Amino acid sequence: MLAWSDWDPARGPALPRSAALRHLVTELSAPGQEVLVAGPHDDDFVTGLLAAGSRVTWLCRSLSDAHRIAETYPAVTVLCGSLAKLDPTPRYDLVVAADGLDRLDSVEGPQATPDELAVLTRVLRPAGALVLVQDNPLGIHHWVTLTSNRQYRSDAEWYPPAAYDEIRPASLTQLHERLAAEELVATATYALFPTPRTPSVLIGARLLGDTASPLRGHLAAALAEAFTDAYRDTPVLSDPRQLAATALRAGAEASLAAGWLTVARRGAPATPDPTHELVVGRGDDDYTYELAFRDGQPRLTVLVPPRRRDERAGLRPAAIPARPPAVGRIFEERLLRLCAQADLAGLRGEVIRLVTWVEQQARDGYVAGPTALATPCTLLDDGVALHLTTPRWEPVTPIPVATVITRALWWFAVRLLTTGRPHPWSLTASAAELTEILLGMAGRTLDEPTLRAAVDVQVALDTVEAGLTDREAHTRRLALLELRSGTPPIDVQGYRELAEALWRQRYQMSHLLAMLEWNDRIIRSRDYWHSKMDWELQFYRKSWAGRFLMLARNAYRLLRRDLRKVWRRLSRADTSRSR
Amino acid sequence: MHHANHFYGHAYVLARYCKLDDPFHPPRINGYLQHGWNIGDGMAPGMPFVSGSTLFLWSEQTRRRAWSQGRRNTIVIGAPFAYLLKLEPEPEGLHREGTIFYPFHGWEKQQVFGDHRGLIAEIRATEPGPVTVCLYWNEYRNRRIRRLYEKAGFRVICHGYRGYWWRDHDREFLFRQLNELRRHRRVASNRLCSAIWYGLLAGCEAAVYGDPMVLDNSDLTFGGEPRIRRQWPELYGVETDRATCYELARQELGADSLATPEELRAYLGWSTTGDEHA
Repeated sequence: MLAWSDWDPARGPALPRSAALRHLVTELSAPGQEVLVAGPHDDDFVTGLLAAGSRVTWLCRSLSDAHRIAETYPAVTVLCGSLAKLDPTPRYDLVVAADGLDRLDSVEGPQATPDELAVLTRVLRPAGALVLVQDNPLGIHHWVTLTSNRQYRSDAEWYPPAAYDEIRPASLTQLHERLAAEELVATATYALFPTPRTPSVLIGARLLGDTASPLRGHLAAALAEAFTDAYRDTPVLSDPRQLAATALRAGAEASLAAGWLTVARRGAPATPDPTHELVVGRGDDDYTYELAFRDGQPRLTVLVPPRRRDERAGLRPAAIPARPPAVGRIFEERLLRLCAQADLAGLRGEVIRLVTWVEQQARDGYVAGPTALATPCTLLDDGVALHLTTPRWEPVTPIPVATVITRALWWFAVRLLTTGRPHPWSLTASAAELTEILLGMAGRTLDEPTLRAAVDVQVALDTVEAGLTDREAHTRRLALLELRSGTPPIDVQGYRELAEALWRQRYQMSHLLAMLEWNDRIIRSRDYWHSKMDWELQFYRKSWAGRFLMLARNAYRLLRRDLRKVWRRLSRADTSRSR
Repeated sequence: MHHANHFYGHAYVLARYCKLDDPFHPPRINGYLQHGWNIGDGMAPGMPFVSGSTLFLWSEQTRRRAWSQGRRNTIVIGAPFAYLLKLEPEPEGLHREGTIFYPFHGWEKQQVFGDHRGLIAEIRATEPGPVTVCLYWNEYRNRRIRRLYEKAGFRVICHGYRGYWWRDHDREFLFRQLNELRRHRRVASNRLCSAIWYGLLAGCEAAVYGDPMVLDNSDLTFGGEPRIRRQWPELYGVETDRATCYELARQELGADSLATPEELRAYLGWSTTGDEHA
């Protein structure tokens, strides 16, 4: 295909790019294997496969892309053209279609659709594996996107997704049925979040739908982080994190996943394919780890070690935890539930628990390591103690206990306000006021310098996670300090959350107007009573003669006023009678 | 913000609890403090209310009612009397004797109509030990009514004036009431009222009996006296179950949900940091 590049972000969706995906693909390959990479993928997939000793053939439809690949990777065999023209001889041990099946047809000639799966299966050797990523039409990423029908905006969609509605699987079951129609059996299945092309959370078949699994707390935390990273500063219809949390609670993550990854073969392999319960990756430093529950214990295995990164903004990447991960539910969920139940006594207990836990981690008034950045949404509660989920960052220098506690409670207040969650306090309370209340529950007071220090820690964290410039960090600091009840969401910009913020602003505005009016009335009333009390004080301060004079003067004044009233009434009656 | 926040010295009690520097002149409370036990939304019926202001309520049940009536800014802090009990714990070796009776009362704008003689006869027939009758200032100032109770041989007292439009506050009102309640074994009234709940929390037995009398122009939106009788039947009668009534008193006065001093300061707008942070 000419005058086209699948690497051009303006003309089509992003390339598949995920350290976790890459690892899963690479662990299926072996030295000397023949691998077909079908469609546009990030270069790292191919370099990973080459490093594993595989012989790679890369199919792409664009001529300019083919030239680039051939020049950059002389070891790779490049096939350029539409999938329909692929030689049907079975000669590949591994076929990788992590981009799905939508970018395998060129504009020229016969279209492989709807038979892409058949074509790819045909070129598989009998013992070969197909790694397929399939987009889920019911995926959360489709629910929250603001841009509806992209067809007219995208050069790549000469046939829009609607053209494939009948043949594309709309559920995991349908996907397996489609594979079965090609005599393929899925040996490993994963639900992908937050997007099918850049997944950072891959939920294995064993964990899918298992709401009783001890790994659910970690899964919830990983999903929240993944969605925050993917949708940071992106306008969406509604915050995807809320939908994801509800899907998790319902065990519906397979139905609402952004997509599915399946490893499919014609029969059971000689050695079973590796499967993982939960794989979590991070896009920015490739760090990928697996969580599994084995022998009654949760275990963390590093699959791809993190790249070495420099410190920035006083933070450095946290060391991989030596202890096995904890189990439990995210602590913030309990706090949110107590807030919704208006259970102040329960909240006090939990706040004291959190504060006590932080104080216990401190040495000489300072907290070191990733614990210093703990907030209720990054803590797991096993019912007895609190534990960190897998932390990403730690401060270079330890942080004072007061700052750590203030930040933990302040960030919870921020999340309460910006996600519009119910709480048992004033609807118009600001983040600072809520923080003061939460600190007060633990017998602590809020002071301005500590709050600013806490906000600075948050800005530092946002700087390293979102790559903020100094100017952006400064703007963020101001926005965080000003956070009130009607503030729009600060990380993921949801339209629904914005509407809620607008309602709160209107509520606050009408309250302020009513207050202004009330204050005016009260001041007038106070002035009146003040004047009366002043007269009384003067009265009591005078001698007996003075008091008599004051009373006489007052009586004379009242008599004159009342006589005038009577006279006016009589003269009005006269005039009306004479008419 | 509203003068009712200072009734019965409530603001003073809360200022003492919050360990303010000068509790005698408490700062403005940023909202409306519920000043009496209430079967409605916590506020007196027809009270002028700045929409969107915070309501400080005594119990979670009142908060639910307030929400159902459209109030959104509500915080359950508990009753000031419950905070007073934390400030003044029960001393050792307390001797309690007799009954303190609180006849139902009116105020500046609503008077009570009923047969005081009939009530006196009923009290005499029911209470075995010495009886103290605590008249509300409204009835205490009425010499005719006061004399009726004095002539009946009761010890007639008054806890003081409630306060009105920031004048004539009696900061010791609740302290005096607490002392009196602790001197008596029973607290009784012809209507279920704040004094009964206070008495229960202070360790008395409770009883509600006798002619409930009629309040001039009473607001029946929330059901009035018949509703109170239906919802809290445990309190009615000459003898009641102390443990059950004590638990109800804890609920109605929010005694299990009291805020810490730092927390309360934040609620009432009495924080030392003031408006410096955003």
